Amino acid sequence: MGYKRFFLFFLFSAGVLFQANDLFSDNLSCLVCHGALKGTYMTRQGVRTSLHVDGEKYASSVHADLDCTTCHLKYQDNPHKSTDQGLDETILGLAQAIQKKSPVDPVAQAACIQCHNEIYLEVKNSVHGINIFQKNETDAALCLDCHGSPHEIVAAAGTNTERGPLKSAVAYEQIVTTCGRCHEQKSVSLKYGFSTRIIQRYNESFHGKKYHLGGKNLPVCTTCHGSHSIRSHKDPQSLVYGTNKITLCKQCHAGANAEFVAAITHKPIGKDNPIPYYAEKGLIILTMGVIAGCALHILLQIYAAIRDAIQYSRRMSR
Amino acid sequence: MKPEHDVTSHPDTLPKEVERFNIHYRIQHVIMLTSFLVLFFTGWALKFSEVETSYSWIHFWGGTRTAGILHRIAGITMILDSLYHVLYLTYRFFRGKLQWDLIPVWKDFIDLYQNMRYFLGFSKEKPRFGRFTYLQKFDYWAVFWGIFIIGFSGLALAFPTKAALFFPEASKNWIWELIYIMHSDEALLAIVFILFWHFYNEHLRPEVFPMSWVWITGKISMHELQQEHPMEFERLFPGAHAQTVTSEDETDEDKTS
Repeated sequence: MGYKRFFLFFLFSAGVLFQANDLFSDNLSCLVCHGALKGTYMTRQGVRTSLHVDGEKYASSVHADLDCTTCHLKYQDNPHKSTDQGLDETILGLAQAIQKKSPVDPVAQAACIQCHNEIYLEVKNSVHGINIFQKNETDAALCLDCHGSPHEIVAAAGTNTERGPLKSAVAYEQIVTTCGRCHEQKSVSLKYGFSTRIIQRYNESFHGKKYHLGGKNLPVCTTCHGSHSIRSHKDPQSLVYGTNKITLCKQCHAGANAEFVAAITHKPIGKDNPIPYYAEKGLIILTMGVIAGCALHILLQIYAAIRDAIQYSRRMSR
Repeated sequence: MKPEHDVTSHPDTLPKEVERFNIHYRIQHVIMLTSFLVLFFTGWALKFSEVETSYSWIHFWGGTRTAGILHRIAGITMILDSLYHVLYLTYRFFRGKLQWDLIPVWKDFIDLYQNMRYFLGFSKEKPRFGRFTYLQKFDYWAVFWGIFIIGFSGLALAFPTKAALFFPEASKNWIWELIYIMHSDEALLAIVFILFWHFYNEHLRPEVFPMSWVWITGKISMHELQQEHPMEFERLFPGAHAQTVTSEDETDEDKTS
């Protein structure tokens, strides 16, 4: 036990020394331990998780003004008793609904609704929300899957700190990568029935190419599909469903019609679309054939030119 | 210059050089090469956007927006240049001055075969070319075909909402992919073709290095005309006989000119 006490004392000192200046006294007592806890721990529910909170990042996050217990409602006392008693019914109900999705502290995840009520309702009705709340899936996106840890959420445009800029995971520059974390996974695309190469096809489109080359104001995933209220593309309420797509594209491309909006599908070019599929194959053969033919001809020309030059100099030296 | 054999017309009366391309053709070529280079440079990074260096390359050209505008300007310039060329050819046709010597004929295939035999050492005889060799005809028609394919697809990509008005409903699921592939792959083909074929034959070839100046002067020397276009020489100067070129009797001048 002596060792453990010494360790806790060490943690306490480290916490005081490194975190104190940035933080409020209420949060300090939490960060004394959680600022120093590294590695992962097994919770009572049998989930392996990190309990570490980076105090400095928290202090530069948009939530810096909040107490830890504003969200971690179950941990009002120290040491934690983690009781559900006296909690708001709405939050508790929500927490039970996302218990499977977020087993470590579902109450804290549900607590977002305290401030972000409207957005939470939008998410609940979105394709992500329907998968979590109605189908009880665990791989659909909830707040933290896109925004990252709430302890480190910065404004969408990003924030500069002493340690350098903190980027928001949902900022323009990051959003395609963020969506891609799930939407690039083949297993997810097969399970939910969307194209297996959405991100790749976006990157190959003119929008995606210019976006990756640093272009500004280009459409990214959320521009067309929406964010919190995103719907499946098969849902008539989706921004990209049927004729909704024409209205959507018209925001940038005045005069868009049905033939125009068909340009963007994110579908890979497969044999189900034979004209571009075989045209591409044909053009590759043509290109390679012409290049090979030209290269061969030029190599022969060079060979003959060198040969003639050697013969000529031999004749001269005779 | 080596004295002519069997020259029935007086060798003294032969001019030193012959006009090969008049001022219209030279202007067309300069506009073509300038717009080609701009299109190549501004389009390259977009085609290979996943390559890391493309980011700095496109910013050298002013970023995606500016590079896009430059690309469109250069593209329209090239299309107008091609129209100038075709209209000029039409004008010459009605004046009865159009020469049809760029049309590929059976002799070009025979020349190719003969050139291969010469390259591989099966023959001492180089093919006897007319005004345009098969290499030059290939160069010309490759550009012609390229502008047709890349130009139309490029217009559709530059003005997509306008182009969509012309597309039949049934084509909407494949037309855009097709247009994109046509533009992108054909452009790569054109670039590689120019870098290989055109650069070797008009720049790097020992006979013309560092370049054939005909694109500026429009004139070809009598020596070069006889060496490389003997049939054209004989057409221009009937009675005069171009020297027979074999690898055996090349003169000092052949190597250094």
